[in-house]
Amino acid sequence: MLSLQSYLTLSAIIFSIGITGIVINRKNIIIVMMCTELLLISVNFNFIAFSHFMQDLAGQIFVFFILTVAAAEAAIGLAILVALYRNKKSISVGDLNKLRN
Amino acid sequence: MLLEIIFYTFASILICASLGVILFKNPVYSAVSLILAFITTGMLWLLLEAEFLAIVLVLVYVGAVMVLFLFVIMMLNIHQEEERSGFTKIAPIAIFLGLVIAAELIALYWIQSDQFSGLESISNSSLSVDNTLLLGTELFTKYILSFEIAGFILLLAIIVSISLTLRTRKNVKKQIASDQIAADPKQRVRMVDIKRGEN
Repeated sequence: MLSLQSYLTLSAIIFSIGITGIVINRKNIIIVMMCTELLLISVNFNFIAFSHFMQDLAGQIFVFFILTVAAAEAAIGLAILVALYRNKKSISVGDLNKLRN
Repeated sequence: MLLEIIFYTFASILICASLGVILFKNPVYSAVSLILAFITTGMLWLLLEAEFLAIVLVLVYVGAVMVLFLFVIMMLNIHQEEERSGFTKIAPIAIFLGLVIAAELIALYWIQSDQFSGLESISNSSLSVDNTLLLGTELFTKYILSFEIAGFILLLAIIVSISLTLRTRKNVKKQIASDQIAADPKQRVRMVDIKRGEN
């Protein structure tokens, strides 16, 4: 029988993979945004697992709102990225020092 | 037994797909790998009887967000070779960090496992209740204000993305209605008296 811990363990593994990805690929903003999506998915996984095992629908409602906010965040982040690329012809984090001094 | 086989199959696919997201050199492969991870997550949510959210995840994420990601990746034309210059230098620290976080969380779940002992998987399929119906009833009664705020956030996202990426090009021949309405006839037409016999 599948217990709650197996779902939580899977979610923890996905979360740590997302953190590792942010640190490894910190030069490339697009991959960092994809890793943020991985983190959000693992948190949603926790919510849904608890919602199923505690017979409470509030967890699924919360996942609904997290999905909404994550979609808005991805759209705005990519729009910022496109605007940045038009101005600087690069999306590398190392080139983003325009506010320095 | 069947549930375990399904769970472990999709869990291993999910872990491999997430490793692919962070390890592929080409961002397009990473995005496709993330699509696979989302679809597998949807399957696992079906196993947890969250049917509506599983379908919404596949529709919204795979259908909209990841297409947006792929569109931006292909539009930006990045040279990924120079983007990954610090890959090997930082990799041991990153792997150590990830292992520590995973070990902490998993130890937390399995050491205090007696706290989870009362929670059992109870299937809703025998109760003849509809997940979508329950979710909609809760959403439109108890959480109606949050629902409206979520809709407003989406509207905000539309306006912000359009205003960030909108480019007004110069030298475009188009009508400007406000200038046409505000035009003064006295400045456009000049009446000149021409006397007969001159020139």
